Amino acid sequence: MAARETNPNFMNGVSELLILRLLQQEEMYGYEIVQAIRSRTDAVIAVGEGVVYPVLHGLERDGALRSRRKTVNRRSRIYYSVTRVGSHRLDDLSQAWTNLAAAIQKILTGGQHGEAIP
Amino acid sequence: MAKPFHELRERLLRAGFAPRHVRRYLTELTDHLADLRAEQERAGRSRADAESAALIRLGGMDDLAKAMIEQRQFQSWCVRAPWAMFGLAPLFLLTGAYVVACSILWSGWKFFLPGANTPFVPLDGFAILYFGVGRLLYYFAPILIGWGIGLIAARQRFKVIWPVVGLVLIASIGGTAQVHASRPAVPGGVGHISMDLALGSSVQDISYSLIHALAILSLTVLPYLIWRLQKAYSLSA
Repeated sequence: MAARETNPNFMNGVSELLILRLLQQEEMYGYEIVQAIRSRTDAVIAVGEGVVYPVLHGLERDGALRSRRKTVNRRSRIYYSVTRVGSHRLDDLSQAWTNLAAAIQKILTGGQHGEAIP
Repeated sequence: MAKPFHELRERLLRAGFAPRHVRRYLTELTDHLADLRAEQERAGRSRADAESAALIRLGGMDDLAKAMIEQRQFQSWCVRAPWAMFGLAPLFLLTGAYVVACSILWSGWKFFLPGANTPFVPLDGFAILYFGVGRLLYYFAPILIGWGIGLIAARQRFKVIWPVVGLVLIASIGGTAQVHASRPAVPGGVGHISMDLALGSSVQDISYSLIHALAILSLTVLPYLIWRLQKAYSLSA
């Protein structure tokens, strides 16, 4: 059975963060990226797999990713890897996401009202 | 291209996305679909089941289209600035072609006809070829540029208004452009080539200009119209 898709409203910016993080470790092509997201999040994060490509193209256009065509097993693939700009973007996104997650966690676990969010 | 993506391609092109971005997106989707299908077949599904499961995993057409449409930076310049693509760019191209054609006329006059009062005289030998290049450019530049406008409009599924504005502009300029050559009466004076846009002063000149403009418009608009009719026919079939 197909996994239930994650609510897209909660996914704004997350796909960029996950893609940059995965590609920082090694270059991958689209299918590999999606499978890596599925397996490393235990399929908690599952979106229509094809929607990853506009995100990849957008990141490439912004200079955060670079792509190259590579033939593997007689099939031509477009592999993506992170640039220096992409690494900086990943740092910013990671920081913002960590702060947000900590703030939400604080509320969920009954943190004090009015405490400043770092 | 895989059949499921025909509709997606049309939707993205009509939404104003540059054909090269659409082509790349669909190429990657096609590869991804093949990988998903192979994965499903390895899991023991039949080819038909594997295909439908792969399509579900890939995402619905609405989601795939929406994901791309949100990336506004991939919209073509024809959508972002149609006045520039169908108005200014053809104008600059035609001006450039006319400048080159006049330069050929002026240099040919200087080299091949140094004593003549006008370059518009019977020619022979290499001069025919040399002046012929300039003449071809003068007569065919509006038609080639018009075909270019039609091609871009067709490739990007553009609405009819802007391409027609561009084609009428090019036909008007092409039909009314007139080249003049004059040489000062002083001995050894250098010949002068000029160009202006005018309908002419006599009825005959005006008729010629209008016929010329209509001929350019017909020749350039015809391929575009045929393409639109074919498209409408294939959609209704």
